[in-house]
Amino acid sequence: MKLSSLLQLPLALAPLLAPVAAEHTSNWAVLVSTSRFWFNYRHLANVLSLYRTVKRLGIPDSQIILMLPDDMACNPRNAFPGTVYSNADRAVDLYGDNIEVDYRGYEVTVENFIRLLTDRVGEEMPRSKRLLTDDRSNILVYMTGHGGNEFLKFQDAEEISAFDLADAFEQMWEKKRYHEILFMIDTCQANTMYSKFYSPNIIATGSSEIDQSSYSHHADNDVGVAVIDRYTYYNLDFLETQVREPNSKKTLGDLFDSYDESKIHSHPGVRWDLFPGKEQGGRERLVMDFFGNVQNVEVDSVGNDTEWKEDLLALGKKISELRERAEAVEAAEKNTSVPDPSIMGTHTSRKIRAAKVAVDETWWGKKTVGAWALAGFSVVWFLGSYLESS
Amino acid sequence: MPPSSQAPIAPETGTFNDQDAREDVPANAVSAAPKKKEPPPESPDSIRQRIYVVLSFWAIIIIIGLPIWWKTTAIYRASLPLDQMMDWADGRACRPVFPLRISIEADTLQDHEAQHLLRTTQHALDDLNDFSAHHLRLELSPSNASTTATGLSTGGVENEELALVIRLLPGTTSKADLQSYAPVLDIYYTPNQVPSSSSSSSSLGNYIANTLRGMFAEEQAMIAYLLSTSSAPPERSPKALAPEVAESLAKWTTRSMKYSRTYHLTFSLFTPTATPSSWDIEAALEEHMKPLLESFASISNFTIDTQVQLYATPGVSGNILKKEDLSGFINAAEWPLSPSIGGAPTINFIIYVGDMEVEGGGKSWLIPQWGGVIIQSDISDLRPAMLIFSNQLMSLLGAPESGSLPLRLMTLVRVRSAGLLLKASGTMGSLARLTLALPSISIPRSVADGVYTTIEHLRKACDGLGGQEGLENARIAEEAAEKAFFEKSMVGQVYFPDEHKLAVYMPLLGPVGVPLVMTVFKEARAWRKRRRGSR
Repeated sequence: MKLSSLLQLPLALAPLLAPVAAEHTSNWAVLVSTSRFWFNYRHLANVLSLYRTVKRLGIPDSQIILMLPDDMACNPRNAFPGTVYSNADRAVDLYGDNIEVDYRGYEVTVENFIRLLTDRVGEEMPRSKRLLTDDRSNILVYMTGHGGNEFLKFQDAEEISAFDLADAFEQMWEKKRYHEILFMIDTCQANTMYSKFYSPNIIATGSSEIDQSSYSHHADNDVGVAVIDRYTYYNLDFLETQVREPNSKKTLGDLFDSYDESKIHSHPGVRWDLFPGKEQGGRERLVMDFFGNVQNVEVDSVGNDTEWKEDLLALGKKISELRERAEAVEAAEKNTSVPDPSIMGTHTSRKIRAAKVAVDETWWGKKTVGAWALAGFSVVWFLGSYLESS
Repeated sequence: MPPSSQAPIAPETGTFNDQDAREDVPANAVSAAPKKKEPPPESPDSIRQRIYVVLSFWAIIIIIGLPIWWKTTAIYRASLPLDQMMDWADGRACRPVFPLRISIEADTLQDHEAQHLLRTTQHALDDLNDFSAHHLRLELSPSNASTTATGLSTGGVENEELALVIRLLPGTTSKADLQSYAPVLDIYYTPNQVPSSSSSSSSLGNYIANTLRGMFAEEQAMIAYLLSTSSAPPERSPKALAPEVAESLAKWTTRSMKYSRTYHLTFSLFTPTATPSSWDIEAALEEHMKPLLESFASISNFTIDTQVQLYATPGVSGNILKKEDLSGFINAAEWPLSPSIGGAPTINFIIYVGDMEVEGGGKSWLIPQWGGVIIQSDISDLRPAMLIFSNQLMSLLGAPESGSLPLRLMTLVRVRSAGLLLKASGTMGSLARLTLALPSISIPRSVADGVYTTIEHLRKACDGLGGQEGLENARIAEEAAEKAFFEKSMVGQVYFPDEHKLAVYMPLLGPVGVPLVMTVFKEARAWRKRRRGSR
């Protein structure tokens, strides 16, 4: 009732005022590994570590899109079947029993990734595999794999270029599909991947500069391969030790300041210029704005406004009763009722017309193609027979 | 060859002269040093045959090869009405106006008195109103409209587009009484308030105008806020809102779900132990929720499911919950809350069995765009919980906070129409800008069809704003716009650097193209030679 009482004041009382800065209402995470094969175990472990972290900090599985091109847990070379570890101490099984992989194996392609971002998917795509974000969603995009100057390899078969990624983000921005994006990438020459971005409200960070490799942290001798990359390792280190609770007040500035180049062995980069408020504003953003799922809840007051709440259900009942009565009266009055030529009618007629046009068009298209091919072949045939006869 | 055509291309004439000289050698110098033996002259037949072979190769390439290459590599871009789309996006194509018709029933007044009252009230209203997009238009109901006195039954059906009916009744004090189950406002007036036909203003008229203004202020602010956050031209947006109002409206947009034709409601009971293992939710929904949901039918539909989860631990423990921890209360990792069935967005309503409370004593809270939570230890009576849920539902759906239920619903219809209209217009602009920004993206015909459908229905919606039909048209427009924007085939890698194109075409054009072009040159040269020789 507060609002209505406020509104009794003249509206134009205040000076010009920009709308209050919008807050985000949901958090999404897109976690992508792009490499196959056993020796890339660490990329899968990177992604699963991030998955575990964002889940721990409160993003529900329905808002995490996990893309795993290979299944290390079930690889015959895995000495610990059914598990994935990101540390040689093997304290935490990342695979666990509560993991929801959204895109698996050969579903992890450049096309599917771009489709996911731009939501250009078919009707058949289940909601769990879609990025159903809106202008109030903060998105964490984490990618890892083998990359190069302005590209990231997908499954040894294709690659996504920095331009395509930048265009995909632009399409998301155009359609108001995000509020803010934190883009993290751990590949060789990772910083080139975000160099082409041009859409606002993106903070981007990567593990290594152009012509720099990104290195693995350590290997597990029993697993037999490297289990995690350095950049991801130190990110996780920060998130595990400093951001322990969902109410943590650590900022992105704290996170990026924790990067130690002597430990990471490459130069991590951060791009602030797309963010409103640039570096200053970006550094103040909470880590939980991207890695957690914190909303401003509204606690219902315990006060005495139960009396106007009270009538809502009763009202609903009374109104539906009244409507039933009205419909009964109406039905009695209009026994010889004609169907209403309202929107439904025009809608269906429009549909029919559209279908007819489509049929016609393909018919002519096919005829033209056929005629063209026929003409071509007959010209060839005539030429051939003419040459033969002469 | 005629000299005139040779003159401008000097180098070529030079080479021809050289050739001519060489050609002349065997003819006039028989006694010269022994020459390489020339092949026997070709028969004209074989020359002709060779030319035909070359021509047929070229014919195949031009008649079949080129069209196929063209057809298979061309990006189909249906032409879109970009100007129109940008007009919609920039708010030039439509000036959203919400005329609200308000009917006055004044059976107790004389005809001319009523007319006069109407004029003065309208005048007072127009003076009060500073936002032209939303104005209240008064009219006298036909004198035989006294049937409305029986209630909603006839009035509601006949005058669906009426925003409100005002009944003027004589009374002892002037007061306004809003009926709670129908959009009817009873206004009681004292006899001395009846305006005399000479005065230009009347106290009754002012009273009615102020009452109406108070009732519709919230709706007006909502629409003004929507328009001001869209990209409408600045001169059309209303004067700035007061900061408190703007803040509460920002909260309102944060809180309310995005519009959908259908919502999925999930009612969940979470309990930390094995009891209670059942609740009487079905009866409670049937008894309390269903009638309310039915009154929403013109705006949205609802599907419902329910669940009980035992041994559920919340994400936050302790008997007193801190407000900032509340969003962590939902144990998203373990509680199965998001059924990925169907295409409708889910609104969650949760009862957690327990006796903890939020600091300050609250036991229920609303999570913006997500749902509501109630902590309750006794679930034998679900009516209080349903009450809280129903209020949370109203908030989540974006209904205004004040007014009677029918008025709130009608306001919701108008606000949602405006929102959908703006959203579809914005999508048109996005699509137009995208078309220009990404020249290599393909635009199938279905997108163009969708755009035309959208614009057609946007036009209709814009003309019929404020009513049920406006909402229906805005909804169709919005669906078509979304479909056009998210067209499945408008995707793929659109960026190909020139090196890629070269790498693709070189292996093809090298081996095939070089012999073809070279033969043409050779034949042309031989032909010229023969012509000169035969002359």
